[in-house]
Amino acid sequence: MSAPDANSGGGRQQQFDFSIGCVPFQLQMSDARLHRAVSLRYAAFTEAAAEPIHITLNDSSIAGSQHADFAYDFEGAVVRANSRKIRFDGVHNEYALDSLLRILLSWKLTGRNGFLLHAATVIRNGKAHVFTGRSGAGKSTLASLSPNGSVLTDEISLLRREHGEWRAYGTPFWGEFRAAGSNTSAPVHAIYRLVQAAENRVTSLRPVELIRALLPNVLFFSSDSEATRRLLEIVSQAAEETPGYEFSFRKDRAFWEVLPA
Amino acid sequence: MTNKPSIFWQKNPALAWREIDDATVIISPTDSVMHELNDTGSFLWKNIDGRRSAAELAGLLAESYEVAPDVALTDTQALLDEMSTRKLVVPIPATGGDLR
Repeated sequence: MSAPDANSGGGRQQQFDFSIGCVPFQLQMSDARLHRAVSLRYAAFTEAAAEPIHITLNDSSIAGSQHADFAYDFEGAVVRANSRKIRFDGVHNEYALDSLLRILLSWKLTGRNGFLLHAATVIRNGKAHVFTGRSGAGKSTLASLSPNGSVLTDEISLLRREHGEWRAYGTPFWGEFRAAGSNTSAPVHAIYRLVQAAENRVTSLRPVELIRALLPNVLFFSSDSEATRRLLEIVSQAAEETPGYEFSFRKDRAFWEVLPA
Repeated sequence: MTNKPSIFWQKNPALAWREIDDATVIISPTDSVMHELNDTGSFLWKNIDGRRSAAELAGLLAESYEVAPDVALTDTQALLDEMSTRKLVVPIPATGGDLR
């Protein structure tokens, strides 16, 4: 997984291979402390795969003014990507790396029929129940009230359409649950808009209502028209092909009783 | 309408949009704002093609929804004004070129 492979410039280059939602990455860095932190943070997602997306971290030997098809600055940490190279700069800890990975992955997924969603995902009877909502909606509470081992993620879910079927993947992007998501996936049974309420109840959503629930919770950082069109197409397809519900959530363990089997 | 129109309307080419159910969902990529058009708005949206004036669009609306022409024109103008304010549509001179 993470064998040192070369010497380059100042420090010894090390690499780390991992995969999120079947999207393989290979990080290249010379900072040994960062490499250790990254190896720990993404341990559950360690996986070497053919043709990974190569990312170079903090490599000052590369000129900084090359053309980028996609660029984003997050609190001083910067991702720049073009068809040949992806580089992250200003990454001083695993949290900055985590933020840039979310940004890059959200962009890459539009070419893979997928998107990242602020959502907790819980597996029941082999099917994924995806609960979307902004911070405070109850995602982490719902995850903490779910059986051990059933939570794919309490914060950011990855949804992809594969072979005509929508699947939900866990991600290593943490919420309050304070545990990395699970590196597995399951076919999506339903998507719920999570709202706090005095009683547990579900009501069906039409596709346009589900889109209204999904779009504000989709992670997307590109201002490119074509990429935005592609994203809207993907999210719309998910809304048309997946049962959607509004889930009024009382924050107790009995909530499964009202969810569709 | 015998007067030749001076302005045609066209969709803002930067936008992403999609029809779903009987509505149209529009996203502005620059600010990630989502807009939603109802049934009537969606009808107009479909017919805004850079080659029609407000009066011509109102004519189509009156025909399809069986409303009086003056009511259709008032509604169409109000919708175009709203969409223009939100930068969903842009006016272009009926003779071609750019108004800006």
